[in-house]
Amino acid sequence: MVKLAEYKRTATFAWSHDRTPVLVTGTAAGTVDADFSSDSTLELWSLLAAAPDTPLCSLTTDARFNDLDWSHDGKFIAGAMDSGAVEIFGTNNERSALHSFAKHSKHSAAATTVRFNPKQANLLLSGGSTQGEIFIWDTTKCVAGAAAASYSPVLPGNAKTALDEIKSLAWNNAMPQVFASAGNTTYASIWDLKAKREVLHLDYTSPDNGARAQFSVVEWHPSSSTKVATASGNDADPIVAVWDLREANKPLQVLRGAHSKGIMSLDWCAHDDALMLTAGRDNSVMLWNPDDGQLLSQFPARSNWCFKAQFAPECPDIFAAASFDGRVQVQTLQNIETSLDAEQSASKSAESETDFWNNVSTDDGAVETQKPTVSRLQAPAWYGTANPAANWAFGGKLVSIMPDGRSVAISKPVIQGMEPNEMLGD
Amino acid sequence: MVSITNAHNDLIHDAVLDYYGKRLATCSSDKTIKVFEVDGETHKLLDTLEGHEGPVWRVDWAHPKFGTILASCSYDGKVIVWKEENGRWSQIATHAVHSASVNSVQWAPHEYGVMLLAASSDGKVSIIEFKEQGVSAPIIIDAHTVGVNSACWAPVSYEDGAAAGEQPKELRRFVTGGADNLVKVWRYNSETQTYALEDTLSGHADWVRDVAWSPSVLLRSYIASVSQDKTCIVWSQENNKGPWKKTEVQQDKFPDVLWRASWSLSGNILALSGGDNKVTLWKENLAGAWEPAGEVQQ
Repeated sequence: MVKLAEYKRTATFAWSHDRTPVLVTGTAAGTVDADFSSDSTLELWSLLAAAPDTPLCSLTTDARFNDLDWSHDGKFIAGAMDSGAVEIFGTNNERSALHSFAKHSKHSAAATTVRFNPKQANLLLSGGSTQGEIFIWDTTKCVAGAAAASYSPVLPGNAKTALDEIKSLAWNNAMPQVFASAGNTTYASIWDLKAKREVLHLDYTSPDNGARAQFSVVEWHPSSSTKVATASGNDADPIVAVWDLREANKPLQVLRGAHSKGIMSLDWCAHDDALMLTAGRDNSVMLWNPDDGQLLSQFPARSNWCFKAQFAPECPDIFAAASFDGRVQVQTLQNIETSLDAEQSASKSAESETDFWNNVSTDDGAVETQKPTVSRLQAPAWYGTANPAANWAFGGKLVSIMPDGRSVAISKPVIQGMEPNEMLGD
Repeated sequence: MVSITNAHNDLIHDAVLDYYGKRLATCSSDKTIKVFEVDGETHKLLDTLEGHEGPVWRVDWAHPKFGTILASCSYDGKVIVWKEENGRWSQIATHAVHSASVNSVQWAPHEYGVMLLAASSDGKVSIIEFKEQGVSAPIIIDAHTVGVNSACWAPVSYEDGAAAGEQPKELRRFVTGGADNLVKVWRYNSETQTYALEDTLSGHADWVRDVAWSPSVLLRSYIASVSQDKTCIVWSQENNKGPWKKTEVQQDKFPDVLWRASWSLSGNILALSGGDNKVTLWKENLAGAWEPAGEVQQ
């Protein structure tokens, strides 16, 4: 079950913040269809739908998408449109219809990225492709009401040095006024909306070749507010650097050696800070432990750049990955080689040449049977949490794990109002 | 009271006594299983079983009529069957049909033979039978989208309404709980030789972490399900047929996530283990409501 679903679209996406998540996809900008169509659609998908290959609903939009994000309260979906607009969408409760609530064309060129604030669900960041444009939006004001039409977003304040295209924005997960940005520059920036300015620069020079990393992606630690990860989009040195801002002169950890080309996407797992997903121009998705910098798994490569990979925020056993190979795939983190796979490949190598040529044209499953290469098996934190796990045994005994998680006690609890039943072994 | 301190170097996930209460098996994130001999207030480590490549979540002892046999399941996707002969433990079978973490493993009632039920995060449950001539092909069922957290056999029971002189029909069932917040009851069909979904029980608002079918053979069947939503539901069915009645063990939510449920062997006391490290005991009163029967002091 490597692939739970595959949507044959070149599209960017966002997950809903539900335990049983829904995925929204929007036609990716900068690609050309076989029929040179310039149509763009926003679509909603459910893994539990009766027909999982058919969207729950869709909406035609007048521009294509560079990015999508879903607000943490579930109310709004924001799109960074190629036209320069930031468009706000929403669904009905049944998830059977998509609507466009508001569209604001404030960016001077294409909008590149959008991110909702995890603490204050109404705050939205958007980035633009020129002059380091960053806007802060308030959905309580820009979506509906008399003033919505004339709404102007807020600027974050002064940059230390002029910024270029904004490629990535991320709100701090603990401090709602702090965010980070990265773009076509050799540094990532930390902003404080209270101070109304960029407060820190992060840059990294490779000790091997003296090249400065071109940070194109930023993401905050899920719980530790001073830690941030930056990824380099540079093909020459595609690294992830993990920083503690209290000592911002050099990274805590550098993740390298797995990606062979620039990194385009990074996601830090909200439910386990020892898990991180990256994806890039080498067509692949990697799973890392950012604490010790070790690669955990490498997922089967796609046939084109993989530009976004993200855990389902409330169901992190699964993630979605979008590639310019025309597919958005939903996969499980774990996909172990089983004895049934071994049987399948044995029967495959046993088949005659004629059988092979008979099957080859229908064999769409070649990618499906590929397994991730596991370098180290690391159980995510949401499995097997420390717990007392009490089990009854013969003779009315109860075996339980002690609160320290490393000791076991066998006791014989006295049940109030119940005589021990010797016959039944209680 | 027996207490075994620092039994493992990492978190222990399960600890189970054998049929006679003489041997204790524990399993841990340190990838090992330990077998202890327990005698009165004393205990002795007999062996450390190594073979899994990831944390070991659960262990289960087979019925002693089959020998000293233990099954274990792990994040590495495998179920390993271990056997002790002349004081030496060895692996006698590895069951590797799941593509993700195997979260629970349980031996079937011994009347069915040497049969295992495994539940995996790959969304499937598997049933494998060990026969004298070898292992039968496993039955694999798609049970819960996004993962099965637990699976538990029903005690042996028979269908109601057999005519006089007729052999009553065996009712072979198990229950599963999953990451789709559902509890499902499955039933064996001897004609198709597989298990079919009999009932889907919805009531939890978050992942079902554990399901436990009461082992007592009464006219009424009980299933306890515990969830990430901090509730425990007891589902009951009369005469092994008809609808399942839903009773919440406690109207208010528990203080933390509930991880495990275990019925006493006679089936009337329910032990619930929570993320707050507390084990609470519950029993049904005459009015059919659940009331506290104590808390286990640690």
